[in-house]
Amino acid sequence: MYFDPNEYLLNPFISFLNWVVVVGALTFVVLFVSMLNLLTTKGMSGIGIFFDELGGMAADLFQLSPRRIWALTRLTYTEAIRRKALAVFVVFGLLFMFAGWFMGDSKEIKPDQVKVYISFVLTAISWLTLPVVLLLCCFGIPEDIRLRSIHTVVTKPARRVEIVLGRMIGIWLIGCLVLTVMAIVGHFWIVRQIPADSQPLLTCRVPVYGTEMEFLDREGNSARSGVNVGDIWIFRSYIEGATKARARWRFIKVDESVLDSDGNLNFENSFSAFRSYKGDMTRPLFYDIKLYNPEKNLAYTTDPQPVNEFRHKLDKIPRKVTVDDVQYDILKDFVTANKDLLIEVSCIDREQYIGMARSDLFIRMPDRPFWMGYWKAILGISLTLLLITMIGVSASTMVKGPIAAVLTFVIYFLSLKDNHQFMDQLVFGQVQGGGFLESVYRLVMHLGPSAELPANPAFAVIQFFDWLLNNFLWLCRHVIPYSQYFNMPEFVANGFDVPLDTSIIPSLLVTSAFIIPCVVMGYFALRIRELESK
Amino acid sequence: MSQSEAVIEIRNLSKVYRDFWGRPKVRALNALSLDIKKGEVFGLLGPNGSGKTTTLKLLLGLLFPTEGEIKILGKSAADVSKNERIGYLPEESYLYRFLNAYETLDFYGRLFNMSAAQRKERSEKLLDLVKLAPQSRRRQLKEYSKGMTRRIGVAQALINDPDLVMLDEPTSGLDPLGNRDMKDLILDLKAQGKTVLMCSHLLADVQDVCDRIAILYGGELKVMGRVDELLKAQDETQIRSSKLSEAAEKEIQDVLKRHGATNVKVDQPTASLEDLFLKTVQESRERPGHRNVTDHQSVS
Repeated sequence: MYFDPNEYLLNPFISFLNWVVVVGALTFVVLFVSMLNLLTTKGMSGIGIFFDELGGMAADLFQLSPRRIWALTRLTYTEAIRRKALAVFVVFGLLFMFAGWFMGDSKEIKPDQVKVYISFVLTAISWLTLPVVLLLCCFGIPEDIRLRSIHTVVTKPARRVEIVLGRMIGIWLIGCLVLTVMAIVGHFWIVRQIPADSQPLLTCRVPVYGTEMEFLDREGNSARSGVNVGDIWIFRSYIEGATKARARWRFIKVDESVLDSDGNLNFENSFSAFRSYKGDMTRPLFYDIKLYNPEKNLAYTTDPQPVNEFRHKLDKIPRKVTVDDVQYDILKDFVTANKDLLIEVSCIDREQYIGMARSDLFIRMPDRPFWMGYWKAILGISLTLLLITMIGVSASTMVKGPIAAVLTFVIYFLSLKDNHQFMDQLVFGQVQGGGFLESVYRLVMHLGPSAELPANPAFAVIQFFDWLLNNFLWLCRHVIPYSQYFNMPEFVANGFDVPLDTSIIPSLLVTSAFIIPCVVMGYFALRIRELESK
Repeated sequence: MSQSEAVIEIRNLSKVYRDFWGRPKVRALNALSLDIKKGEVFGLLGPNGSGKTTTLKLLLGLLFPTEGEIKILGKSAADVSKNERIGYLPEESYLYRFLNAYETLDFYGRLFNMSAAQRKERSEKLLDLVKLAPQSRRRQLKEYSKGMTRRIGVAQALINDPDLVMLDEPTSGLDPLGNRDMKDLILDLKAQGKTVLMCSHLLADVQDVCDRIAILYGGELKVMGRVDELLKAQDETQIRSSKLSEAAEKEIQDVLKRHGATNVKVDQPTASLEDLFLKTVQESRERPGHRNVTDHQSVS
């Protein structure tokens, strides 16, 4: 299994500071663009207008009326329903009527098939609701301006902020309505598709990951990683059997809550095996787990355990263990004064290798019911809908519907994990071949990415523009949200509960960080433009 | 606010429309200055493209002036709070076509922060006032005729019981009955002490209801004043009486000529076509099936 949730240690103070920086930076960008717009259209008097409008917005905020916002919310909601946005259910219904035909024999269910069922439902729900919300949020206000219906609204005491907020809430609510109905149907569909004897596979494991992982090489010296066995993907590192090579994890804040109802400490792993010689292929490779406490110079090693290749393996360690005929309590004797638990894994078979990554071994806390994780995943989708709605509505106050839709889609596309990470690589210079213009130059001149370039003025100009573009990309990278935080369905599909600190809180923070800038952008766009359709 | 106090003050107002590159394209309004007093019905007249609607939209803050100042009810045009006391009927009723009449008025009532009870009461009252048939009130506006849309447009403009009502081409697209109703409504608003500003190029309608008018042409103010004064023919005299005999008419003509009158014309006055139409409709309602055809060729 190649599922690697991000390490994310929630430090409320640092998180709050980051949040304030992001909100501040986004709001600054929005205000700067608004001022630039006013300067280009109104000349120097634009500065005065900008500060007038800023004051006007502050005044509007104190005069917001929940009744007016609700009126605009209801209007948006009614509009969407009467314009047949709910027709999306037809597509949804068709998908679920025939999905079973293409998804294998449900009588022989395997864990991977459960994952396919859950992934299918949650992906279908996401990809059906996202376009609906995208279109609704991007075309609502431009249509109002085109048909001049907005004239009858802005000539009433409705504030621009209220119009923006009303639209956002209305579209999000319709998105949530569609989402909820689909989620209920999807939940029943999953449970119905899985046979009774495989129902235990529908569960939400609660992992506690080690915060640090380190390796020891075959001599027992500390190393950055284990052995690379030639796999081009370096997700896992390998330790050599029957040597001093080890992999070590540190688990923090370990207390009684990590034990199951029988008092056992459960470790689950998904180690992979790599054989340097064929040997007996029916015999698995073996590893052992050592719990050690350097403060008490105490260690406990489990019996050798077989590697469950391509499958999960659960190792139960009882709370009371015996070392040299003395009984010890894991929590009292092996957990350090800082509440850290240190674990060491070694491979037993000579000249064979076992591969592991940080997320390949975790303490498995008592499982939670499937529905809990499922609905958390739905929460993740709803937050994505909210984010798209906010971006779409604020974009639609500035440009026409189709352009707003493309802009919002591009932002969403760039926020996806791979694209965001590629942007990171570009911004932080991890991609060979230079910036945009330098790459074009290399392509045209048939130069490889590592070839030396001549130090002439033309190249200096290219590098200067690349530097400017890179800074712009840096700005985009920080403004565009990272959608991986919202990818809660991935946890559920992999049989995990959605963690609060890795996913739910970051996604809530990211979403809330966009509220203020999007509303400010919407306000300015509606205030500084003449609401005449041209 | 006293009767003579200006509800709308416009000073040196100009509007230049620009193209995409910011270059001046057309000067829609040029140095317009006028005051509209509380309680009067003021008409803005002019041919198409004269700047009437532009003036109205500048007053409402839908457009921004290139130069000049506007004060409405003592506030700037950009001040949203002024809208609390304003009702606006756009040139075409730009309402939400997917709502029905009740929902429309309920929506606009909410924008004025009216309570549910107020909205309900006011909606019923206004729908009766604009004479929207009860069976039409639950239908979506997209199914309405132009006249019905106009009526619901007027109702939304009055939802807040405004002090100042701005009507853009209020009688356009209305049949003579609707036209009469609209004019009666405007006169009724005036009787309630409200100020009405209307734009129109239908001169007869303006003449019937307006106290004062301004005529715009090419974005410039050409004429402004009281309707009765502007229309008074200073060099003519009109005498009206009940029906006289032919001999009496002849005698009057002789008397007038003796006093030096020229172009003397004595004949029977004609009713306006509007009056004839309204009378016919009224009779048809009272006596269904009755016909009063005078031109036999037209029905042969």
